[in-house]
Amino acid sequence: MPNPIANADSDVMISLHDLRVSYGDREILHGVNMEVKRGETLVILGGSGSGKSTLLRTLVGLEKPSSGEIWLKGKNLASISDDDLDEIRRKMGMSFQSGALFGSMTVGENVGLPLREHTKLEDSTIEIMTRLKLEQVGLGGFEDYFPAQLSGGMKKRAAVARALSMDPEILFFDEPSAGLDPIIAAGIDQLILELKQAFHMTIIVVTHELASAFLIADQMVYIDKGVIIAQGTPAEMKANPLPRVRQFFDRVAEPEVEQEMDYLQMLTATHRRPNR
Amino acid sequence: MKIVERFVGEATILDITGDIDLSSSPDLRKVLLRELKEKRTPRVIVNLIAVRYIDSSGVASLVEGLKASRDTGMRFALVGLSKGAREVLQLSRLIKIFEIHDNEEQALA
Amino acid sequence: MLAYVGALARLTSQAAYYAFVGPFRGRPLRLGRAFSQAMEVGVRALPVLSLITFFIGLILAIQGAYELKKFGAIHFVADAVAITMTRELGPLITAIVVIGRSGSAFAAEIGTMKVNEEIDALETMAISPVQFLVTPKFLAMILMLPCLTIWANFMGILGGSLFGVLKADFTFVEYMRASVSALFMRDIVTGLIKSVMFGMTITAVGCSEGLATGQGAESVGKSTTAAVVMSIFLVVVVDLIFTSLFFFAGGI
Ligand SMILES: Nc1ncnc2c1ncn2[C@@H]1O[C@H](COP(=O)(O)OP(=O)(O)O)[C@@H](O)[C@H]1O
Ligand SMILES: [Mg+2]
Repeated sequence: MPNPIANADSDVMISLHDLRVSYGDREILHGVNMEVKRGETLVILGGSGSGKSTLLRTLVGLEKPSSGEIWLKGKNLASISDDDLDEIRRKMGMSFQSGALFGSMTVGENVGLPLREHTKLEDSTIEIMTRLKLEQVGLGGFEDYFPAQLSGGMKKRAAVARALSMDPEILFFDEPSAGLDPIIAAGIDQLILELKQAFHMTIIVVTHELASAFLIADQMVYIDKGVIIAQGTPAEMKANPLPRVRQFFDRVAEPEVEQEMDYLQMLTATHRRPNR
Repeated sequence: MKIVERFVGEATILDITGDIDLSSSPDLRKVLLRELKEKRTPRVIVNLIAVRYIDSSGVASLVEGLKASRDTGMRFALVGLSKGAREVLQLSRLIKIFEIHDNEEQALA
Repeated sequence: MLAYVGALARLTSQAAYYAFVGPFRGRPLRLGRAFSQAMEVGVRALPVLSLITFFIGLILAIQGAYELKKFGAIHFVADAVAITMTRELGPLITAIVVIGRSGSAFAAEIGTMKVNEEIDALETMAISPVQFLVTPKFLAMILMLPCLTIWANFMGILGGSLFGVLKADFTFVEYMRASVSALFMRDIVTGLIKSVMFGMTITAVGCSEGLATGQGAESVGKSTTAAVVMSIFLVVVVDLIFTSLFFFAGGI
């Protein structure tokens, strides 16, 4: 049962061409190319600080690339009108690494907010939808709590529920199960699989959990220092011979790659304060 | 989305065609609640066979219908769920809460 | 500085768009949020504002009397207080109290949301942060500041009357009558026009400092301080501009 809004002429939801993103004059992503098809689950792997969150933030239009192209549902983000971007964003859900729940609202109000802002649904309908979403992430009964009253893992799940509230076509998850206990984390994996099945959602997940990654992924990419160094199906990734990738999958600690002189240089370099 | 009303014996049957999504759910809700309030027949059957897509606002509207039927003491059933619709109800753990039949004959029996 | 003022003007015009034009273009206004802001900005400011302006009125009367006594004109103290309050100090003191209470709170609230990625979350939900956060504050401010200003004027005159009754041989009713007859409509109106401009300035500075917050909790503190200092400065500048405008252009 594909979502009827499907863009008939293309099965490609997202494609990136030589995407470069910088914060100030520090480049974080150095030319990323990838493609995500409708209904596919893409898992983004990589060490921390490698640019995964930056990639997600750029995909949803929060960071402007310094060069390269982002195509979302056949539209170039660089030249899209504000109304078109809003239209795409209404069909998009994002759960932030930090949760980013609205601290001044209850969990229920957080989840219901996009519905209240964008639809003409009755309050009673919105309330039921909110409870359904919270139930799906295992937070049934917590709608009247404030984010500050929740544990880190619960916040994360509330953020997932909020990302789901508009039944999006594309879902972005930034480490949805980091810091959750294994049973709850498995519940999130299950939810991702069910969403894909029931709604044919396109899902992009950043995660560190290898077991989870192999369970949910159709495609994987591995980012290292702002460059995709490996991509493919889970099976292809398992067979990837690159040492960096092997290390990550085999959970080997980083070897001492730096040359002794570089290391000395680094330790003794004259300090320059970063200008803000 | 279109809703057509039929009366078969003791039951009102609502034939729904098209997509039940954020924009059409309010209409579905209105029709359901009116039908359940007017109590023209002791049973209301929602026929979803021609529904291609139902999102969670549609599911929530059906839940409101079910609740209203309990309040007014009427029977409320769903028929003709597609595989997708079943999955959506399954996802919301509602599959056992609704009275669900494969087809109209069964629902009327 | 010019770029800063330009950015404030842009933010104000966006907020005004969502307040006055948006509702006719299918972007309904959420009056509930504006109402709760109005309570916070307006009603909760009343106690402290009343006290401060009462004292200011009293101080004005004492200081005025000191000068007027030299000319044997102490009975003009009611006129002096009434005019100074309504034309100048009522709007200004109100603005400064509101900066301290609400301008800083706007910066802190929005700054905290910025740091917590809540502003980003709004954007990914296709909810405009300006429409959602700034417009209700803008509406509350341009509505409540004039109301507070009228109240401040009244409290100031009341403060003056305390001196008038105790030290200048007025009865309370005489003092009030003298104050009212000293005032012209234009004194009140120019004060209120100023107060609306102050309201816009405070909202724009508070919100834009909040939105410009960097990373980390300590930058929220920086934004809040910047909002207060900048608002006071700009309110005085706006005051100067409008006072001169009224004086030189309108002769009022
Ligand atoms: N807002 C920002 N300003 C400046 N640098 C940033 C910002 N966000 C992230 N970075 C830097 O970008 C790099 C990549 O960060 P991020 O995308 O969060 O990595 P990951 O999610 O893979 O852990 C890091 O070195 C981080 O210090
Ligand atoms: Mg990250």
